[in-house]
Amino acid sequence: MRDLKNLIYFEGLLDNPDNELVKKASEDGRKALGYTCFYIPEVLLNLDNCFSVRLRAPNVGSIDIATYYMSNYTCEFCRTILEDAIEGGFQFLDALAEPDACSAMNRLAEHFELLKVNDKPDFFVTHLEVPYKIEDYTLDMYETQVQIHLLDELQKRFGTDISDASIRKAVDEHNEVCRIMTELSDMRKLPNPPITGYEYFVINLCTYCCPKDLLLPKLRETLEEVRNRKTDPKPWYRARVEVVGSEIDDLDLIKMLEDAGAFVVADRFCFGTFPGRQEIELTDDKPALAQIIEKYLVESECARWMSQEKIQQRHDTVDQLAKDFNADGIIYEQMKYCDFWAFERTMASFVLHEEYGWPVLSIDRSYRVRGSGQLRTRFQAFVEALEIKKIRAAAEEGGASA
Amino acid sequence: MKYFGGCDVGSTYTKAVILDETGKIVADTTIKSKIQAEESARLAMKDVIAKVPELNSEEDLAYLIGTGYGRNKVPFADENISEISCHAMGVHITNPDVKAIIDIGGQDVKGIAIDKDGTVQNFAMNDKCAAGTGRFFEAMARSFEMTLPEFSKLSLTAKNVIPITAQCTVFAESEVITLVGEGKPMDEIAAGVEMSIAKRCFVMAKKAGATDSITLTGGCAKNDGLKQAIEQVLKLKVVELKTDPQLMGALGAAEYARQKGLAGAAA
Repeated sequence: MRDLKNLIYFEGLLDNPDNELVKKASEDGRKALGYTCFYIPEVLLNLDNCFSVRLRAPNVGSIDIATYYMSNYTCEFCRTILEDAIEGGFQFLDALAEPDACSAMNRLAEHFELLKVNDKPDFFVTHLEVPYKIEDYTLDMYETQVQIHLLDELQKRFGTDISDASIRKAVDEHNEVCRIMTELSDMRKLPNPPITGYEYFVINLCTYCCPKDLLLPKLRETLEEVRNRKTDPKPWYRARVEVVGSEIDDLDLIKMLEDAGAFVVADRFCFGTFPGRQEIELTDDKPALAQIIEKYLVESECARWMSQEKIQQRHDTVDQLAKDFNADGIIYEQMKYCDFWAFERTMASFVLHEEYGWPVLSIDRSYRVRGSGQLRTRFQAFVEALEIKKIRAAAEEGGASA
Repeated sequence: MKYFGGCDVGSTYTKAVILDETGKIVADTTIKSKIQAEESARLAMKDVIAKVPELNSEEDLAYLIGTGYGRNKVPFADENISEISCHAMGVHITNPDVKAIIDIGGQDVKGIAIDKDGTVQNFAMNDKCAAGTGRFFEAMARSFEMTLPEFSKLSLTAKNVIPITAQCTVFAESEVITLVGEGKPMDEIAAGVEMSIAKRCFVMAKKAGATDSITLTGGCAKNDGLKQAIEQVLKLKVVELKTDPQLMGALGAAEYARQKGLAGAAA
């Protein structure tokens, strides 16, 4: 296939969190709101004069200073973000919104304040409680949290329009991004797809890291290009995999997988497509905020939920996605020292293999995987095993029909 | 007669094997790896080809497969296959009754369960940490001022085992030096080192789903002290291979080359 016209442009947007679109929006007087977790409804960070920036730290080397503040056995993602913040990487932010999702994120938010990593006089950190169960009263509770700790703060500090009309406008823009990403994502179901897993990952990550309105022209253009893209006669991959687990924003990880011949057909990891890039369908009979809160909590696949129905939901979602996207196998991954995913990965990788019958590879990984020969070998061995299973299955089918 | 090659570029040693059409090993070699994987592969291939009078260069091989951490750096290779798949195939053609492998290489340790046709059924592998690998042994032997064979032999003479608690190679070396400084018996410390690695191997073997009929591959398979410790923790007898266990990766690669080369010729 010919290279995507805008791929280098999209990759460039991921070189630095303070990318050219973020700079442009900030220069226009808009407020950059950082966040790191799905529990903060992304669409509510894109109201009126604000835009959301999902935090990454692609240029950090050693994380010694953050480790001093947060201790060794805490999530590497949170430590790396803090290290970048200490090095001045998030000076462009106007606020940080963090949920009480895990202790590592709590410590991250706390150190943003304690260490005064941002010099802007108006910069603030806001922190929201998140329920552990979904009941009417917990939905109300979270709505109140979002109202008080996020929306009211934005209105008070930045004069943001937080009205129902403003929220619905942000949802419209959010939905256009989702429609584009869903169409691109669905192309991954094809046997010979016009988009690679790496390309999709890069584009999707950009949608989390850039002001939506400024990114949309390139998204529309790319969708049109992919719709008309001529594929090679034969697909380039050796096996199709669904990747499931904790936060991934590392381009090298997906590249390593695809270099090993694994086509990432479905991304069920934090800040992937499932959930996150589904349209928000609003009705007029209820306030938009309440509907958004319900959607985010009900559709959340976070390993933090420990009730039986949510555990079952997670397994079923992974299974269904693997079927829908014609995956040959599933890769469960976990950020080192992520408590929730450590438990989920161990249990679900067993359940999906033993009870659902999927070939499963289970890995824990650093925030950045660059240069991990061991990981490369494991990916390749998994692909080889999947490939052999497919060849055998085809041979058996041929034998049966003959 | 056609010949088929496998070249296993490991982090410590590079191995090469040449098979004939019948699958018989006609030549093999093992050399110390160079810093550049490509140079290691070139030297090993030059060495092994020189042992087969009918061959003048890699180009005379009908099919060549690279494996090991430097697998994509093997010159003239037709393709590369992970060492996990190659070790499984190498062991399978050496002894089809073996159902699981503990492969202890220079920088990693793997547990591999083998399917009935020599393909990989399941596997487990350490991450970046060097605990339980050949590098770990090298560091321990160095702190004893011994060669690896001397270290292994010493561990076999111990009547007791002094447990080594540190998992990390660096901290374990420090712990060993402390124990030596305290005047603890050297053979018992050495046995403790072997036991700590055996436990690491136990975890990998169990994670891969290994049950019985297990063998050791990789350079550390020649360490009798380790073998004894593994037998103790796994509570079973490790199967001895009739071919050098360090060659299993290269042998498996050569066998894959033979199968693919012959299949290609037939097509």
